[in-house]
Amino acid sequence: MAALSSQFGDLVEIKKQLTVIIALCRERGLMHSVKWASELAFALDPLPMNELPPPPPFTEEDAQDLDAYSLAKSFFDLKEYDRAAYFLRGCRSQKAYFLYMYSRYLSGEKKKDDETVDSLGPLEKGQVKNESLRELRVELSKKHKARELDGFGLYLYGVVLRKLDLLKEAIDVFVEATHCLPLHWGAWLELCNLVENKEMLKSMSFPDTWMKDFFLAHIYTEMQMIEEALQKYQSLINVGFSKSTYIISQIAVAYHNIRDIDKALSMFNELREQDPYRIENMDTFSNLLYVRTMKPELSYLAHNLCDIDKYRVETCCVIGNYYSLRSQHEKAALYFQRALKLNPRCLGAWTLMGHEYMEMKNTSAAIQAYRHAIEVNKRDYRAWYGLGQTYEILKMPFYCLYYYRRAHQLRPNDSRMLVALGECYEKLNQLVEATKCYWRAYSVGDVERMALVKLAKLHEQLNESDQAAQCYVIYIKEIFECGELMEQVELSTAFRYLGQYYFKNKQYDDASICAQRCCNYNDAREEGKSLLRQISQVRGQGETSSSDLSLPFIFGPLSAKNTPVRRMSPLNLSSVTP
Amino acid sequence: MASVHESLYFNPMMTNGVVHANVFGVKDWVTPYKITVLMLLDEMTISTSITLLDRRRLNKLILPLLQSPDMTLSQLIKTVEDSCPQLAYTVHLRLQLMADGELKDMEHFFDMLPSPFNETESEAHKTSVVGLFMRHMVLAYNKLSFSQVYKLYTALQQYYQSYERKDSPAAEPAEDTDMELTNTEELGGKMEKEELDLEPSDDEVSTRGPLSQKQAEYFLAQQAYLLKNDENKALDPAALQKELNNMLKFNPDFAEAHYLSYLNSMRVQDIFNSTDSLLHYFDRLILPGGDSKSNGDEGCGRSLRYAALNLAALHCRFGHYQQAELALQEAIRIAQESNDHVCLQHCLSWLYLLEQMKGSDSTLTEHAVKMAVHFCLPYLASLGIQSLVQQGAVGGKTANKLMDALKDTDLLHWKHSLSELIDISIAQKTAIWRMYGKSTMALQQAQVLLSMNSLEPVNLGVQQNNSEAFAVALCHLSELHAEQGLFAAASEILKHLRERFPPHSQHAKLWMLCDQKIQFDRAMNDGKYHMADSLVVGIAALSKTEGLYRKALVLKARNQTTEAYKVLQRLLLYCEKIKGTEMTIRVMLSLAELHWSSSCHAVALPLLLRSLAVSREYHLQYLASECILHLAFSQLMLGIPEQALNILHMAIEPILAHGALLDKGRAMLLVAKCQIVTASSEPSKQQKTQALEVAVQNLEEAGTYFTKVDCKERVRDIYYLQARLYHSLGKTAERNKCAMLFRQHNQELPSQGVPLITRL
Repeated sequence: MAALSSQFGDLVEIKKQLTVIIALCRERGLMHSVKWASELAFALDPLPMNELPPPPPFTEEDAQDLDAYSLAKSFFDLKEYDRAAYFLRGCRSQKAYFLYMYSRYLSGEKKKDDETVDSLGPLEKGQVKNESLRELRVELSKKHKARELDGFGLYLYGVVLRKLDLLKEAIDVFVEATHCLPLHWGAWLELCNLVENKEMLKSMSFPDTWMKDFFLAHIYTEMQMIEEALQKYQSLINVGFSKSTYIISQIAVAYHNIRDIDKALSMFNELREQDPYRIENMDTFSNLLYVRTMKPELSYLAHNLCDIDKYRVETCCVIGNYYSLRSQHEKAALYFQRALKLNPRCLGAWTLMGHEYMEMKNTSAAIQAYRHAIEVNKRDYRAWYGLGQTYEILKMPFYCLYYYRRAHQLRPNDSRMLVALGECYEKLNQLVEATKCYWRAYSVGDVERMALVKLAKLHEQLNESDQAAQCYVIYIKEIFECGELMEQVELSTAFRYLGQYYFKNKQYDDASICAQRCCNYNDAREEGKSLLRQISQVRGQGETSSSDLSLPFIFGPLSAKNTPVRRMSPLNLSSVTP
Repeated sequence: MASVHESLYFNPMMTNGVVHANVFGVKDWVTPYKITVLMLLDEMTISTSITLLDRRRLNKLILPLLQSPDMTLSQLIKTVEDSCPQLAYTVHLRLQLMADGELKDMEHFFDMLPSPFNETESEAHKTSVVGLFMRHMVLAYNKLSFSQVYKLYTALQQYYQSYERKDSPAAEPAEDTDMELTNTEELGGKMEKEELDLEPSDDEVSTRGPLSQKQAEYFLAQQAYLLKNDENKALDPAALQKELNNMLKFNPDFAEAHYLSYLNSMRVQDIFNSTDSLLHYFDRLILPGGDSKSNGDEGCGRSLRYAALNLAALHCRFGHYQQAELALQEAIRIAQESNDHVCLQHCLSWLYLLEQMKGSDSTLTEHAVKMAVHFCLPYLASLGIQSLVQQGAVGGKTANKLMDALKDTDLLHWKHSLSELIDISIAQKTAIWRMYGKSTMALQQAQVLLSMNSLEPVNLGVQQNNSEAFAVALCHLSELHAEQGLFAAASEILKHLRERFPPHSQHAKLWMLCDQKIQFDRAMNDGKYHMADSLVVGIAALSKTEGLYRKALVLKARNQTTEAYKVLQRLLLYCEKIKGTEMTIRVMLSLAELHWSSSCHAVALPLLLRSLAVSREYHLQYLASECILHLAFSQLMLGIPEQALNILHMAIEPILAHGALLDKGRAMLLVAKCQIVTASSEPSKQQKTQALEVAVQNLEEAGTYFTKVDCKERVRDIYYLQARLYHSLGKTAERNKCAMLFRQHNQELPSQGVPLITRL
């Protein structure tokens, strides 16, 4: 995975390529690709004067179309697409042709958007179509067949196909576009949205350039294959892109996705330092600050973003998060609503609004918000999870199973869903299913460290004392390894149970250690003391009666087999810590 | 959130699907189709030359036109033409003028439109359906913005042009063939044209334009009604789903569509989609409750309870009984917490149903019925009574009590016009009469159900006849016909069942079982055991006990006595466990027959006496007569024919009155046999001859019965007996005739199986 393509050796060459592509994209009005490439170019060292790449070759056709092109480009930049297309209609050069088609496409899109607001009725809304798409497709496919399209033309053709929902064809065309013009980030980005799974990705062939690594890293992040993505990005940084804000932001998002909050926070702080006026991804940053309840930081971020641009979706989300943290849920909901007005397809805002309504105990509105989020993106696990939580609050454990299951399907390795599922099964008195869920939650890496305790308690209920003891032992071990002593209540119950368990199994040494530990906690102190008394009593008797002494020998191998051998280690460890 | 494409940044207001339903607060708006309908209405008021008959037809047409989804112009004109060709032409002309004209023509049209209301003697009264429609339209038109008016006009032009283009389809293919001869460049042009043309026509088929809120509601109501009452007339599942998806794409807030989608998915047994749609529906439904603070909580909670209940019903339909139980418990808990007795009552009846489906015998108490009456839930109350009646019937309650209870529920049904339950009640009566062995009464009840007019208002020309009750009644009917040897009629009924309840539908299993049973019986009669054997598998798939029983019958007929005995013993134990009285008696009779075939007639007697006692205890008259028949045969074989004749008198009457043809034949044959045996002990020769002649007549009768049900073996044996009797009577001509017939039959049939003498 880490092996990057060999072209990274020559950063100067990459820089040159970037400079060229920036110019090309700018000429064609592909501003987002320009932005991406420039961001990357900025991260590399500046080129000396004599190294600067020559301007792209200027053909006879270009010269002929120059005036028409310049005029049209100015119209294009001013968003007068029809006007631009009109003056470009006779042009023959590739550049002018692309701009011609692109303005026609954008004009159609713009009209579509305008029309949506102005359509005849609500039910007609979804039927508003970009009328020019079909014409564009016919013209472009003709050119495509005749192999007259350059990389940009192919890209546009792909976009048109995608808009017409011809996804398979679109993927083929985009792949062709990447082969034809590997430096154009737009085509790669489109592919990121079209490729659905790993198998699909494997079956495709891409040009072997350094762009491919950026693409793979990006798509791994999208597909939640965070490990691979992080590896890729790390190696990109090692090669020399350490200053790229794009990579930093992507890494931060990746850390956020695997809930590695500290690392994500540090990445975002670095990003803010390098690019203080950046608004993109700041909603993710605010989510992190929210989770860590870092009020002052969040407040600072919110005010800062508000100064930069009030009317951005991200800004609204950050402010919403801020209010939510201050428990002003009405205001928070208001800001999320504003974000949705700015972009109704903003999925995060729907989900966050759902959370706010939940806080306000307005379950029906919360359900609505979550449902909206699901409509925008069926794969939004947070919305499914939120729906499940809502129904759980409404005391419908069976009903919410379905929602949790959906969420679990989308994030099979997220312990939170599994714990939630387990809790529901527990409420439905389906203890065997519940134990399965908790065990799975523990094995995929439990975030909240509750699965084991719950599992142990379940085993207690099922009278499986060996398993219960085992769970408690692992739990105690994990807690002390982390050095966190927050969940004292659970720790004391664990020690209390273990003490009784060892006592029953006549392992008096272990039992007395546990009992002593119990005495450290207020709620278990009395029991600890009484257990200690019992132990000393039994020991006193044990010396007199020989029949009792023989029992441990019978139980010894049995218990040693059932409880883990390393059971002593956590206790030894614990005696070191205060 | 990485941005997808540059164009997304164009207009932050871009909405795609995620819009609230009524942004404009209108339920209806102007479309070209509606303009055409308006024209039609206008013409109707203006023109005076329409005949009365035409006018009546047109008036009948108006409501469907107003409610249905938008039609294409050609469809519309065709519909109008059927009623009044002249008017259709005028409307067409007016539309053409408007479409070929200018925008001002349309504006003028709407300016002129309100005028009919101003006149007092106008036909379209302000508050009439037509008047409301017109006013809606005028209002919606006036609300349109400048660009929207122009859009409407271009839409109108397109609407008209697509009709024109369709009107002259002959021209286009000719053009196409011309093009193919030309060079490649034009080929591209052709493709372009094709592609441009192709899509609208495709759209036409699937979506007839966007629906307005009202049209959508009407569409949903109609389809749901059809699904409930006559599934075959509804759109087929795929088409309906497509339509619904379309509707939901444009308006995701339209919750009812989700419910219909749930019903539709149930039709094709798609658990994933149906669960998804059901939950989605209830998620959406919760909103209206949240609007008003005062009853918001109540409304929300209410839908929650029913959501859980519906989920239980869903799992129940798919046979996930454990899940269903959990969901039901949840519904019950929530209902109890909020003191919703009505919901609780519903839960209770579901609980009972669930227990029954799981096979455990729970008893619905009379108390539950009383509670249902108390909470004014007549539906549940009489459903409860019907369940109690069913329990009673199986448990051997006396008929008069059961019929009395059913009469009471019938009173309740007619009072509340619960047509569905009336159907069930009649079907239940059919089944009960059949169980008692009164085939005539059963036949009559089945006919009553089939020829009864549904109580529900006759809507869309659909009668409510899709229910389980109908399936049950029809199955009984076909079995009754088959019993009487009317196989053509029976298969006709089955054909009808197959059409009405296609194999994938919920109640299809009923007729499938019935069909196979009839085929099995025919094959057994005909002596084609291999065919019967092949049917056993099919029967066993649908009903375990029935399958086992039939398997034993085949084994018995093939003289595989030991295997048959094993199967029957197993079945007997099982039936006694699940308290299947009827089957127990049948099995005991078959066991007795097995004993005969090994000539242990004395051993069979206690079995037969036991089965007689049981069938009398449960009032199963027909089975009782069958037992007597068997008893009499045993006695005959044990050499006490007088005694046999004596008890036969008890059985012969009900069998001749209600029995199947085969049983009638068997009874008559047995009588004849007994008579022959007793005749030999008659003292005088004359008496002997008389007795034998009576026996011959009885044999004759039995023979006709057997011929009707294609029982060739038995017919052959009858000829043999007849020939012997004629011989001893000295009637040579008759004897020879019978002997010849016997020979004919004997050549056709392989002589196998048990000889008639040792068989009932």
